[in-house]
Parts: sequence; structure tokens; C-alpha cells
Amino acid sequence: MIRPGIRRLFHLRLRRRDVVERETREEIESHLAARAEELERQGLTPEDAKAEAIRRFGSLDLARRRLADAALVRERRSAVREWFEALRQDVRYALRSAVHEPGFTLVVIIMIALGVGANAAMFGILDRLLVRGPEHVVDPSRLTRIYYSVDVPGLGRFSDNTFGYVTYTTLRDGTRGFDGVAAYSENDEGILGEGEDARRVRAGHATSDFFALLGVQPMLGRFFDPTEDQPGAAQHVVVLGYEVWRSRFGGDRNILGKTVPIQGDPYVVVGVMPSGFTGANLARVDIWMPMSLRQPTSEWQTAWDAQWLKVVARLSPGFTREAAEADASQLFRTVYAGDEEPFREAQLHAGPLWYDDAGREPMEVAVARWLIGVSLVVLLVACANVINLLLARALRRRREVSVRLALGVTRGRLVRQLLTESMVLAVMGGVAALLVVPVVAGLVRGVLLANVEWTGSALDLRVLFVAGGLTLVAGLLTGLVPALQIGRGVVSADLRSGMGPEGARASRVRMGLAVGQAAASLVLLVGAGLFLRSLHQANSADLGIEPGQILAIDATWPSSASTSRAERRARSTTFYDEALRRVQRMPGVEAAAIAIGTPFFSSFQERLRVAGRDSIPRLPGGGPYLQAISPDYFQTTGLRLLSGRAFGSGDHEGSDRVAIVNETMARALWPGGDAIGQCIMIGSEPDPPCTQVVGTVEDAHRFSLQEQPAMQYYLPLGQEEGIGGSRLLVRSRGEPGSMIAEVRSGLRDVDASVLWLEVATLQNALDPQMRPWRLGATLIGVFGLLALVIAAIGLYSLVAFMVTTRTHEIGVRMALGAGRRSVMRLVMRRGLSLAGAGVVVGVVLAWGLASQIQDLLFGVSAEDPVIYLGAGIILLISAVLACLVPGQRATRVDPMKALRAD
Amino acid sequence: MSDMVPLLKGTLDILVLKALSWTPMHGIEITNWLAERSGGELSFDESGVYQALYRMEARGLIEAEWGVSANNRRARFYAITPDGRRHLKAETRQFVRYGELLTSILTAPPETRGAR
Repeated sequence: MIRPGIRRLFHLRLRRRDVVERETREEIESHLAARAEELERQGLTPEDAKAEAIRRFGSLDLARRRLADAALVRERRSAVREWFEALRQDVRYALRSAVHEPGFTLVVIIMIALGVGANAAMFGILDRLLVRGPEHVVDPSRLTRIYYSVDVPGLGRFSDNTFGYVTYTTLRDGTRGFDGVAAYSENDEGILGEGEDARRVRAGHATSDFFALLGVQPMLGRFFDPTEDQPGAAQHVVVLGYEVWRSRFGGDRNILGKTVPIQGDPYVVVGVMPSGFTGANLARVDIWMPMSLRQPTSEWQTAWDAQWLKVVARLSPGFTREAAEADASQLFRTVYAGDEEPFREAQLHAGPLWYDDAGREPMEVAVARWLIGVSLVVLLVACANVINLLLARALRRRREVSVRLALGVTRGRLVRQLLTESMVLAVMGGVAALLVVPVVAGLVRGVLLANVEWTGSALDLRVLFVAGGLTLVAGLLTGLVPALQIGRGVVSADLRSGMGPEGARASRVRMGLAVGQAAASLVLLVGAGLFLRSLHQANSADLGIEPGQILAIDATWPSSASTSRAERRARSTTFYDEALRRVQRMPGVEAAAIAIGTPFFSSFQERLRVAGRDSIPRLPGGGPYLQAISPDYFQTTGLRLLSGRAFGSGDHEGSDRVAIVNETMARALWPGGDAIGQCIMIGSEPDPPCTQVVGTVEDAHRFSLQEQPAMQYYLPLGQEEGIGGSRLLVRSRGEPGSMIAEVRSGLRDVDASVLWLEVATLQNALDPQMRPWRLGATLIGVFGLLALVIAAIGLYSLVAFMVTTRTHEIGVRMALGAGRRSVMRLVMRRGLSLAGAGVVVGVVLAWGLASQIQDLLFGVSAEDPVIYLGAGIILLISAVLACLVPGQRATRVDPMKALRAD
Repeated sequence: MSDMVPLLKGTLDILVLKALSWTPMHGIEITNWLAERSGGELSFDESGVYQALYRMEARGLIEAEWGVSANNRRARFYAITPDGRRHLKAETRQFVRYGELLTSILTAPPETRGAR
């Protein structure tokens, strides 16, 4: 007799109530009958015996009911207990076989760890970016950033998120769709400290209602109140960010009420922010100051056409985004009193906090979304490989399986056992994934989203939860396919040796998986290739200027120094002239120039008229934009003069008015090609003097890698009017970064009143724009290689398995005279045909996805055949490598042994 | 009948377990075993034995399987599990200590206090 409990283990089910009751009744009847029989033997009459048996049993009705209930409880509990007992046995069995095949186990663990880890890490990134929003913000999904879009004739629709103060007060006081409205600017420059201690920090300005709107509480002290956010407030106040408080002030808990110098002015510290608080955006902010301290114009409270702040608003309960937008737009159009025509028809939008300044999904987010897809592909490829390995193992174990089936183990039980095995492997992989998450997350955080302030661990509860879920899915997925094969009897029949028809079906599944893996790898390789090419193109893009060679230097003076505009201008001119003279004497400097309006920093426009034209044409790139430059500017930046002359020492304030225009402007205004000698009239006075064009120069990018050609023109420094903010540009002979310290110390004593001297490469300002491609190239590349290696391992194991199972056939071939070379060819043909099929499928897939990704690329077509070709070649080469070892083994088959072994 | 000892609550389980510790039995064999061992001095409803059996089966202390009894009747056979044996051992120790304690208290000679 098989032990009862064991037998029950194999057909586990809850018996139905009526069955249990019938059995209970049967047991009682059996007991009573046996007892009565006994009593009869002792001499009682059958009637008496029966009565006595019942009496001894106790109250029969009651006992029946109680026993039936107890039996049901018993059945339920036993079922649960036995289920767990079976699980325990399965897990133990799974662990034993995991230890038994350490190589196999390790490969599976690594693959699942990489797949799950990459996905969980990317989830964590997108969770912060898109779902949870900035830290300490309460209910971020109801919080919106306000954008406008306007139709500009000739230019199309234009969107942005900067407004004037008056828009903020209008929305705050007049809309029903928003519960609260606040204004802020988060990327302002601040100089904290004085003299040697001065440091540049990231400053933010906010209206006093900003913090309450977000729902944040200060860690120390308080935020500023409305009276402190008013022009002419009694004192300047500041709220410190947590990091600055820790690093600059040593975490001084008594800092409240103390005075710190900011921009040379005394500010009273009234509060400290909690760690990780970044306002409504995700970048670090070191100091928060009242909005009223940032006044771009004198009539800043009422000016419609000065735009410098961003507006956040919380949707009123019951209002949808659309309703709030409609309400706000209506109000804005009614109240708008500026003189820019398009704004009378402006549409206001309430976008999510994470949108970029133009109200669109930022490119970083788009790339991150793709990376989630990529990491899912890696997980799938890894799962496919684990399935492959498990199937191969199931085939190896088919004798064991048939023995167990013969012993009466049901298929259901076997399926469960296999699922448990794959689940145990997956869980081990999932645990190992916890090591992968910080690596991937660190890479993404550091490379793609370096601006985002990441304070939390990459492994928070939500990420753990997702990792756990993915692990379960991976376990189920990888267990289910082999289990279903067993369920269908594929590996169950006793296959003596060689491949029966069922084995062939299993191997068809495996071949399908190998093709799928190869295809997925190819898609990722193509993606990596496209991003790599984009990065390369972006790095070598012709921007006109050469940011990699140039240092930009600018000085900050205390803001409050009660100086007039003229005095400020004189101070600046004196400083930059002397600074220019000094850097020109430095041996490492090739050329240097002063400019008002510097690429990647600032750009100006003035009203412009041209003799003989009614109007200036509008180009998609905008303009005309204006810069004022000293003589060596073109030499310094690397811009090529196309015709005419550059400015010289004879061009200065008071000399003949001259200008140099760029190629686009020359072509747009004087299509005949005779720009030199033409007259342009700059300024808004009725009859500005003629400025003569003396040269043309090639186009230069103003702010970004990707921009439409714009009209630009240059004036000699000193002849400009109404624009200011100089920078000194230095072209170094060597790597410009290495000159920063030398330049800073060389200029330190030019002007003692300078608060802060910023020296940085132009490339620095451009770098953030490279990040999406850099990250895409890095991560898709890493993931693509990973998928390739995994797929190669899969192909290797498949081909190796084939060689093992066909040893006999190979032996026969060799006995019949086939050479080593032709055996190798046989193996290779098998492997390469799978890889080739994968390439074909992959190319079709990648082609299908190409149009989706085109917007994320730079200077390369998503259908670039060279990249597809390269990816295909890499894949085929790795397939050859994967087939090499099993092929070698096949050529070493000894025909005599192989034939005898059968 | 009146001089029979009624069963204290909770003791039936342990006695049934003890019975099964020798060999698997069906219900009536267990009741007979109990009657035999107690010399017929224990008083209990025989249905209580089944209650105890079901209860302990639910707790995994015993396992059951349908079989055929010596006189060719279909009956459920009960067997003790390893968990059941551990439980029996622990409970036996408890009961014995309890019994000894009660005995020593109840049979102690009257105490002499404060006589000195």
C-alpha cells in the first residue's frame, strides 16, 4: 500500500461536500454495524445490539451533523496543507537540481537577473519622471504647468511656458478651473558667498504661494510670506536647499535668522527645504528667493510682453484639464493688453509637470520610454533562452520523466513540478537582479538625466514590487513552455535514443525561439547603431562655431551696487578689454574675442529695415539676430568669412557704421548675391542711420544642435545699442578644459569688485543636448550586445544539442566518407540558417519600427542600409562563433564508436 | 456505570494518538483499544473518537485512507504522521507532568503553619 498521504499528493483536489458527507455517513454506519455484530456475538438480540451500539455512539443525529462538519473542515485543511507540502517538496527538488547543474543554473540566473534588473531600473526612472513627479509634491497628477500656444503668421504654431507676472496674477485671481496658481523660475544664477568663498549655485525664485501649492513642508523654519514677496520688502529673505545647507553651512540647525551674502547682498535665512525638494521641476535648486526680487523691467508687475516666469496650477476639484484650459484661455484672451497680435488668440494649456519648456514630451523621456521597450526585449530574449535551456534539460531528463509517469505521477503534477523549478530559478535570478538595478539606474541617472536631482535609492519599494512581478512573469513564462510540451506528451514517451517525432516538435519550438532571439538582437543592434551614428553625427556636426575649442568667460558683479546703466557698461568694457589683453598674452591661447550675444548663452533681436525692401522675410529659424563682436571673433569661434572683410581695430564706437551678415541673411535679403555695400537700418527710431554691410560669414548655430537656418548679423563692439552682457571667448591651442584654472587665476585681479568669474567650455553648454544620443547609444548598445551574447549562447546550446543527438548520423556520414570539412559545413549550415532567418525577421521588424524612432535620431536615416548591413554581419559572425565549438566536436566523432554505441 | 471515570476535555485526542502510535487502525479498533487499555473504566461517546480523528486529521497529525477491515467491511484506516508523533511526545510529557503535579498537591499531608 502506498502511504495514503503520498497518494493524495498526486491527485490533489477538494472533494465535494456530498462526497464527504456520504463517506462520513458510511463510516458511521460501518462502525455501528461492526459494534452491533460484536454485541450480538456477546449474546444480545439483534435489536438490542443495534440499540446498544447507537447508545454507545452517542446522540446519532447530532453526531452525524458534527462529524460531517468536522469532515469538511478536515478536507479543506488537508488540501491546503498538502498543497504546501507538495510545494515544499517541489522547491526542494528544484533546489537540488539547481545545485546539481551549477553551470546551467548560473547561466539562467544571470540572464533573468539582467532582464529583470534592466526593466526594474528603467521602471524606477520613468516612475520618477512621469508618475511620481518631483519629490515632496503632493498629488502631482492634479498639478499642471501652464503653456501657451500662438499662431505666428508665416511661422506656424509656437508654444512656450514663460509668462509675465501679470499672467500669474490674472490666473490666480480669475480662474475657476484652478485651485491655486503660483509662479516660479528655477534655473536662475545665484552667487552665494563673497570673495574667495563665492560659489555659483542654482537659484530659484518663487511667489510666496508656490510652496503651499506644491504641498511641501519646510524642514526648518518657514517659507517666505506675501509681505516678503513684495517690492521694497523690509529685508531680502532666502530659503536654503537641503544640500547647500548641509555642504555650505555644515547642517547648522541655528541658521535661521542669520544673514548670508547672495549676489553681494545680505539675505536673511528664514527656512531650509527638505532633502530632495526640487520645486516643480526635477533639477536641483540650491536657494529659493521671492519672485519679486527678479524684476526684468521696471513695470514687471503689469508688463504683458516681458516673459520670464513659469506658472504652475492645481486643478480645482471637479475640473478636467480641458475644462480648466478652456476657462484659462478665455480669461487670458479677454484680459490680454499687450501689443503682440498673436496673443489675443492665444491658447493656454495645462500640461504635466514633466513636459519640456515647449510643452512637449522631452527627448530624454522619449528615449527612456524606448529604453523600457529595449529592456523588455532583453528580458524576452533572456526568457526565450531560459525556455530553450529548460526544454533541452527536459529532453535530457525524458527517461526520468517516463519513469515517474509509469509510477503513476500525473501530468498535472509534473507540470507543476516544472513550473516550480522555473519559478525557483526565476526567483534566484530576481534576487540577483537587485544587484543589476543600481548599475543600470546609475548609468541612466548619470548619463541621461544628469540634471535631475536623484536623492532616493534606485531600489525603492515600487521598484522592488515591479522586479518581483517581472520575476514571477519570467518564472511562469519560462516554466510554461516546457511544461506544456510535457503536457502534450512531447517528452514523455519513452524515446529510446535519437529523436522521435515528439522530440522533433520540441526542437522546432527551440528553433523558433533561436530565430526569435536572433531577430530581437538584430533589432537592438540596429537601434544601437542608429543612436551611435546619431551621437557621432552630433559630435561632428558643423555648427559653424567650434564649441569644443572655446572657453567662455563672464563676470558677475554685485547686483545691488547702485550704479547707473552707463556706469555698469563702462565697468564691463574696462574689465573685458583688460581681460582680453591678458588672455591674448597667454601662450596657450590661439585667439580671443569679446562678444555681446554668445552662442548657447544669449541672443538678441533689434528692429531692422533694409533699403529698397518693404519688409524683412520671416524664416522658420527666426531672426534677424544680432551680435556685437570684437575683431578676432571669427578666428576665435572658427567661423569662416565668405566675402568682404572682418572687423578690424578701426571699427569701434563712433567710426563708420558697418555690419557683417551671415549667409542665410545675405541670401534672403539680397538674392542676387550682392550683399556687400548694402545698407541696413537698425533700431526703432523713425529714421535710423545706414549701416553698411562689409562682409558675409557662414551660418552659426545659436542654441541647439538642431535648428533651422536663421538670419544673423554682426556689429563691431561699441556700435551696438541697447544690448548688453559681454562674454570673453578664448580659443585655446590645446584642450580648452585644461586652461580653465590658468585663465581664472590670470584674471582674478583685473577687477576686485567682480563677485564671480565663470570660466567654462562652450561644449559644456552644448553637452546636455548630446545626452539623449549618448544614453541611447550606450544603453541600447549594452543591451544589444547583451541580447547578442544571450542569443549566441542559445544558438550554441541548440547546435551542441543537435550534434549530440545526431552523433549516430554523423558517424554514418563519416563512415561513408564524409570529411571533417563537410561535417563542419553541416553543423554551420544548421546554425547559420537559423541566424539568417533571424536576420530576415529582425530586418523586417526594425524596418517597421524605423519611422517611430526617426524623430529621436540626428543626421541619420532610421532606414540607413549600412547600419542594417552592419548589424546583420555582426549577428552572422557571432552565429559562426557559436557554431564553431559544437562543429569541432562533430568533426571529432569517431565513426566506429558512434555506430557501436547504438 | 456511575463509577466510570469521565474523560477530561482534550484528553481523547492524545489517547487516540497513542492508540495509533502502535499501528494504523480504523475507528472501532481505536474505541476497542481504549476500552481495553482502561479496563473499561473510561466513559466516552464513541462518536467523540471520530470527532477527535477528524480534528487531528485536519491538523495533519494523522492521515486516513479507505481500506477493508478484518471482517471484510469497508473502513477508514487512520495512521499517525511524523508531526503526530512529535505532538504525541510533547503532549504526553505535558500530561504526565500535569498528572504528577495534581497528584502531589492533592495527596500532600496537611501543612503545619506558624507553629513555631
